[in-house]
Amino acid sequence: MIVDKIKKREPSAKNKKANIDIPVGKWIKCDECKEIIYKETLKNNLNICPSCGHYFRMHINRRLEQIIDEGTYQRFDLNIDTSNPLKMDEYTKKLKSLREKTGLEEAVACGTGKINGEDVVICIMDSGFMMGSMGIVVGEKITYSIEKAIEKKLPLIIFSVSGGARMQEGIISLMQMAKTTAALTKLDEAGLLYISVLTDPTYGGVTASFASLGDIVLAEPKSMIGFAGQRVIEQTIGESLPEGFQTAEFMLEHGFVDKIVERKDLKNTLYKLIQYHK
Amino acid sequence: MFEMAKLKVPIITIVIGEGSSGGALAIGVGNKVFMLENAIYSILSPEGYSSILWKDPSRVKEAAEKMKLTAKDLHDLKVIDKIIKEPSEGDDKENFNKICKSIKKEILSSIKEFNDKSESEIVEQRYQKFRNMGEYIKL
Repeated sequence: MIVDKIKKREPSAKNKKANIDIPVGKWIKCDECKEIIYKETLKNNLNICPSCGHYFRMHINRRLEQIIDEGTYQRFDLNIDTSNPLKMDEYTKKLKSLREKTGLEEAVACGTGKINGEDVVICIMDSGFMMGSMGIVVGEKITYSIEKAIEKKLPLIIFSVSGGARMQEGIISLMQMAKTTAALTKLDEAGLLYISVLTDPTYGGVTASFASLGDIVLAEPKSMIGFAGQRVIEQTIGESLPEGFQTAEFMLEHGFVDKIVERKDLKNTLYKLIQYHK
Repeated sequence: MFEMAKLKVPIITIVIGEGSSGGALAIGVGNKVFMLENAIYSILSPEGYSSILWKDPSRVKEAAEKMKLTAKDLHDLKVIDKIIKEPSEGDDKENFNKICKSIKKEILSSIKEFNDKSESEIVEQRYQKFRNMGEYIKL
């Protein structure tokens, strides 16, 4: 991240002399058009580049502000940590430092809230926490949320962003796919609505489980969505891939996604869909 | 996986060779999961694992050791129900027959176990089995 670089850089001797007060960490460069954007401007524009329209990834808190009515979000009281099944020391250290750095407990936040007054159970993933990978905690939180939706008879909305299963937890993270999927069969039997929103990027075990199982699957424009990454596929099959492969638009064309919704329209689209299914 | 989770008959899964990633899991969601003693079952191949986690495919041996992919590891992790023993020496053909016999025995006893169970009990047993996968610590 460019911001980290800016933060880390010591003020040069020249700057020190001139005593120029340059605010640190206030600017960010757009990955797409390379424009330097004032962070506050980006925040006020739903994390979309004002110059080229590129979608920046969103922190859980920003997403909650955007989707859930102010003051209505109530996080589930589920305070858990992984048992670190492969007993990897480096993993424990990484989790600790990420928690301090991001202010997040894990790669997903779950709770209840209102969308234009409609009650929902909402789960939001964050790519800033181990690339939104699904391990025991993410699997348990998603499953718990599904069960809560059944108990409270509420629609479920999950915003996915993930690199897939969490490697550091080995096969146990693979099992979270089975766990979340099985829970969704119960939601289905209860006749409740589940809307899955895919954001950039959604891959691996998350795509292959709950993210694809929405009654309705929405996606943000240009999100990359797939199981294995493009490089891996190309290396495996020894062929180059078609243009636009794995973009949300490609997925829409191939029936994997039901609708692409612009970020600014997401809240109202979700509201309408909930209304239709009442 | 979604459809398998709803099946009203018992599913018996036996890992007999190398099983990994989503494909293995998709057909692995059984009421009973067995594994041959020398089979492996993992999140992905050790080659893929070391390449993704450490960006170094040469650490494949270390990956294989850390991943806990043997039948014993998976039994300890409660991912599988039982290990089916394999003879360590002797004639291949004879051993093959012995293993088949052991597998048959487990299949039959599993079927018997589920004979008295109702459809909803079968679905619920499978649900609970995977619902409880992954121990966590309460904070």
